[in-house]
Amino acid sequence: MITLDPAILSRVAKPGRYTGNEWNSIIKDPSQVGITVALALPDVYEVGMSNLGLKILYQIINNRPDAAAERVYAPWVDMEAEMRRYHIPLFTLESKRPVQHCDIIGFSLQYELSYSNVLNMLDLSGIPLLAADREDKFPLVIGGGPCAFNPEPVAAFFDCFVIGEGEEVMEEVIETAADWKKAGKAGGRTALLKQLAGLKGIYVPSLYSVSYAADGTAAKAAVNCPEAKPVIAKRVIRDLNQVEFATRPVVPYLDIVHDRIMLELFRGCTRGCRFCQAGVIYRPVRERRPEILLQLAQELVDSTGYNEMSLTSLSSADYSCLHQLVQALIERFKEQGVSVSLPSLRIDSFSVQLAQEVQQVRKSGLTFAPEAGTQRLRDVINKGVTEENLMTAVGAAFGAGWSAVKLYFMIGLPTETDEDIEGIAALAYRVLDLYKTVKGRRGAKVTVSVSSFVPKPHTPFQWFGQNSPAELERKQQLLKSRLRDRNISFNWHDTRTSLLEGVFARGDRSLSQVILAAWQHGAKFDGWSEHFKSDVWLEAFRSAGLDPYFYAGRERKPDEIFPWEHITCGVDKTYLQEEYQRALAGAATGDCRRDDCRGCGVCPGLGVEVLDWGEQANG
Amino acid sequence: MAKLRVKITKGEEVRYISHLDYAGAIERAIRRANLPAAYSAGFNPHMKLSFASALGLGVTSEGEYMDVEFTAAVDPVMARNKLNDSLPPGIFVKQSGYVDDRSPALMAVVNLAEYRILAPLAAGTEFCDVQASLRRFHSADEVNYIRESPKKKREIDLKQFLVQDIAAAAAGEAVRLSMAIKITPTGSVKAGEVLAALVAQFDLPVVQDSALIHRVGLYIANETVRSLPLP
Ligand code: SF4
Repeated sequence: MITLDPAILSRVAKPGRYTGNEWNSIIKDPSQVGITVALALPDVYEVGMSNLGLKILYQIINNRPDAAAERVYAPWVDMEAEMRRYHIPLFTLESKRPVQHCDIIGFSLQYELSYSNVLNMLDLSGIPLLAADREDKFPLVIGGGPCAFNPEPVAAFFDCFVIGEGEEVMEEVIETAADWKKAGKAGGRTALLKQLAGLKGIYVPSLYSVSYAADGTAAKAAVNCPEAKPVIAKRVIRDLNQVEFATRPVVPYLDIVHDRIMLELFRGCTRGCRFCQAGVIYRPVRERRPEILLQLAQELVDSTGYNEMSLTSLSSADYSCLHQLVQALIERFKEQGVSVSLPSLRIDSFSVQLAQEVQQVRKSGLTFAPEAGTQRLRDVINKGVTEENLMTAVGAAFGAGWSAVKLYFMIGLPTETDEDIEGIAALAYRVLDLYKTVKGRRGAKVTVSVSSFVPKPHTPFQWFGQNSPAELERKQQLLKSRLRDRNISFNWHDTRTSLLEGVFARGDRSLSQVILAAWQHGAKFDGWSEHFKSDVWLEAFRSAGLDPYFYAGRERKPDEIFPWEHITCGVDKTYLQEEYQRALAGAATGDCRRDDCRGCGVCPGLGVEVLDWGEQANG
Repeated sequence: MAKLRVKITKGEEVRYISHLDYAGAIERAIRRANLPAAYSAGFNPHMKLSFASALGLGVTSEGEYMDVEFTAAVDPVMARNKLNDSLPPGIFVKQSGYVDDRSPALMAVVNLAEYRILAPLAAGTEFCDVQASLRRFHSADEVNYIRESPKKKREIDLKQFLVQDIAAAAAGEAVRLSMAIKITPTGSVKAGEVLAALVAQFDLPVVQDSALIHRVGLYIANETVRSLPLP
């Protein structure tokens, strides 16, 4: 057990990040369980603690008498300096043991910019960074989360990846590892990895050899042993009503990013926005039953004591029984001072009416995401909203007393022209004017928030050549010059980090050496602008002889084999290609839950069906 | 309405949380305990909690006081037990009792805080060096300490807040200091600030970073007696 010197804790910011003891944390004696798992998120405590997936796994693993799940996050730079200075290894928050003594360390990979932190955490743990260098005594290093759908850039650092939803497969991994350990680690690490490769949804990168074509594209990931499957399909929970949910999450002392109850209504989204990776990889839609949600909500209120509950799903407003559910939640918990919030709003007046119901007095800002400035471009990305929808919704919000509105857009989308950029400004002004029409006076505040589009694997835009940082900056400047009103504020993202994100999103195995080199030269916390070191990354590409443009900026050929081709979320590549063509033609595609099945392949391929509770209840 | 006053600890397990986070942890425990807490009106209703005095990050205590308003007077012992079942490790209700609804706020009556500091002796020094340092401190007419916040600097005379001489005792390789600090309507000072001044201005030979500060208690004091703010 590691005890931290008070002198260290008094020198670092927010020492509560490292001291544990939070309500609902489960401290088991590691010597009394067969397998210990460190659940890691390669970012700071406040970000790591907000991840719903890890909360679920924490509960599922700790329910097992033979296993212990503990938490570990990236120490902030001040703490890292102290740890390196005093030779304190990375430790878990529960038993305060070195992570190196755990049997498994599982990293949740939520965004590409956290890759350097994975290396930093392994290094702080004293675990060899390259999977190939790890002897039997070291923990099994597992990756999961959305980035695992193209794990190739970090393939060298992980023993295996969980593709898709982890509730069931994590238990299988634990059982396999426990048996192997009980059998005296027979056959060594290789034997364990081959057994794991036999589980559905587990990808062991070392069992595949990647060859490249003359033009540098990935030609093939070939299996090099019989245990490995040619294609790894994602794991998916058929019925969410049947699996455990995080009803007893650890309640932090510090104010974390999502410091509230997270109630997951459903998984998946069938709206089909063409830029959205989550919308593809979490298909199909599977709803929880309203009565189960009410029960989960009650357990969560009782076990956490939180005074706020957020209905989290990809597009919570799409839940089929939302209205009844929200009313029931408000009714049941108002005595206990618990408020309900909807993080993502659909652009329609129904949503505004709901927002009004849940936020009865407070009129803090409402957020809408038109994503693009013109109807033409919104059709390209299949964002099924019109300017009229937006104006009606915002008008309803103004009428209901809101005066601050935040509008989310992306720039750098396929087929985008300067007219589309100017359309963003025009929309912002129209919203300002609308306030005057509705209220008879000025006084609205509009925030225009613009992120840079990064094409993601498994989406219809996976072929698209990402805009260069220079082009994105030009577009930002253009927009800035059009937004000259003190009632409009403008936020934008660093274009250089978007490039890096784009490279790793669609990169291949050769990038592992770039990540390694960048980390060796000080890259970490790349998602935090104050720590992002663009020159270090560019130098790492240069020394590896690799061109970031090749991965991010190149329009890919229709028949190109992608580095992630051997990993499938169940959605057919032909469907995605068709969607890309429809995008370029500006043709909309409807919601497959409410309209016709679009034949994406998920439901028949994975044997899972769209589960829409409202529809079932009605017929 | 009923106002329950509790004496509550902040232990080693929660030493490194701020006052705001400490209050938040207690508020959530009250909700978990399902006690009939009263809420402020309006949106974002807040539980009606009030503390005697804020306790800083890094400081533990065995005698904090808090008032919580209930919509109905439940048995105070039952309330205490339920609360203790719901509180995280290190936070514990030692005593509880109702005070009059209209009784003055804790903040208005508590005027004295007693602290104990355990600090390792600096290398190559002895207890007599500590005593010498304290002697110089006690004979000074005033000790000015500059409190810096991100916005401004303020000079405070520490001595006007100390009600008696600081006592020191040797504790192995460490030294134990005891002090009592006045809490006035216009403000107070922290034990850590007194320690910092002792080290910086009077060469107190201790490892300041490693000092463990503990609040022994909070009191209502006058010239002659100290009493506890409990019914
Ligand atoms: S298979 Fe059809 S119904 Fe199922 S997710 Fe794909 S498009 Fe929707």
